Amino acid sequence: MAEQIEATTLIEAVQLFLAELEPELKGRRAFHAKVAGNALAIVARELAQQPQAKEQALLAGVMGQDAPLDTLRAGMCEQLRAGTMGAATPGLVDALLAVALGKCGVDNPRYATFKRLAV
Amino acid sequence: MAAPTPEIVSALIDAVVSRVEQLSGGASSATFAVDAVKADGTPWPLILQCAATGSVPEGGLPRADQARLQQIAFAAGLPVAEVVRVLAPDDGLGEGFVMARLPGEALASKWLKLPDYAPARAILTRQCAEVLARLHQMPMAAAAGLSLPAGSTAQSLDRMFANYRRFGVDSPVFDLAFAWLRERVADRPAANIVHGDFRSGNFLVAPDGLVAVLDWELAHLGDGHEDLGWLCCNSWRFGVWDKPVGGFGERDELYAAYEAAGGGPVDRERAAFWEVFGTLKWGIACLQLGDDHVSGRLRNVERAAIGRRVSEVELDLMHLFKFGSV
Repeated sequence: MAEQIEATTLIEAVQLFLAELEPELKGRRAFHAKVAGNALAIVARELAQQPQAKEQALLAGVMGQDAPLDTLRAGMCEQLRAGTMGAATPGLVDALLAVALGKCGVDNPRYATFKRLAV
Repeated sequence: MAAPTPEIVSALIDAVVSRVEQLSGGASSATFAVDAVKADGTPWPLILQCAATGSVPEGGLPRADQARLQQIAFAAGLPVAEVVRVLAPDDGLGEGFVMARLPGEALASKWLKLPDYAPARAILTRQCAEVLARLHQMPMAAAAGLSLPAGSTAQSLDRMFANYRRFGVDSPVFDLAFAWLRERVADRPAANIVHGDFRSGNFLVAPDGLVAVLDWELAHLGDGHEDLGWLCCNSWRFGVWDKPVGGFGERDELYAAYEAAGGGPVDRERAAFWEVFGTLKWGIACLQLGDDHVSGRLRNVERAAIGRRVSEVELDLMHLFKFGSV
């Protein structure tokens, strides 16, 4: 353990605080407190699972070049818009399916399509 | 916009009003429950919807026209809450209308799961098919004089792409979906009155079946198949993914009942086109809601978090492209 209080520990502490607060809130604020707790859970999963590193590797594989994620995404979108890449591009559909699974697993692992595919 | 008091609402509908309670709403629009009593003494439960003048959702319909379309649909015998009064500028409440408050469950997460609603779920596919068949059989001239947005399929696709590009986000999955749609788009001129938001979250349901179709604010002139596809988007199945029609039914039954009710032949590929279109449209709506936060238009945690629902849509689209359906 590099730090006594890791980033994940801070997230847990804020989640605890929100849970303490929730009984005192009502209406819109109670709802937003719940959403805030879920948002922190997304951050915790993103820290643990590093989906962007996986996405960078997958897109680099399809594009045949190593570049930062933003560059790869922009380049792939440009080619898809121009029609020089598409569903027939080798590896593209499988890579984007794997990227989407990684992102949904972070953002909402309770989503039905994620549960279907992550078995 | 003045706050509607019982006195103000009473004057609007010419009846005694005992209660006006805000149900939801914010700065630009609000919904109120109204308890009124008819001249003969029977209770008259109503809903008042009003909005600041000019606050119309993008691609949406002015409230007065929405109310008139609801009146037209009601007169045609569709299950719709009866509109009893359309607000005029002189009323001082902005744009809006007063309609019947019908008994029923609006939360799809409840009526899709609670055992009490099993009889409703068993007949809902047929009921939805009948509503859509009748709506789509109405001549477009029935809505003449209302400012219903209109467009061909290709125009709708172009508009959606322009909307996507406004946010400066690069999603390879979304661009792949646009390419898939462009390959398949047949440029049909508008031919039907389309509800535009016909999905489980907009139905009022009783244990014995459909009570009313709500939220007509996205109605437009277009391809009736759009409503068939939108109803089947996985985003509206509330987790019941193996029942493609809204989380309660099968596509085959929907199409057969639609044809039997006089809706005309269903082209399955066209319905599938609109299902992909609808899935992508919800994804872009998530980008737009996330942009409310990013742009500073409406900064809050709910808008920021909904931006992350883009990945649900991306996964549904990839499931579709990999396995042929979702």
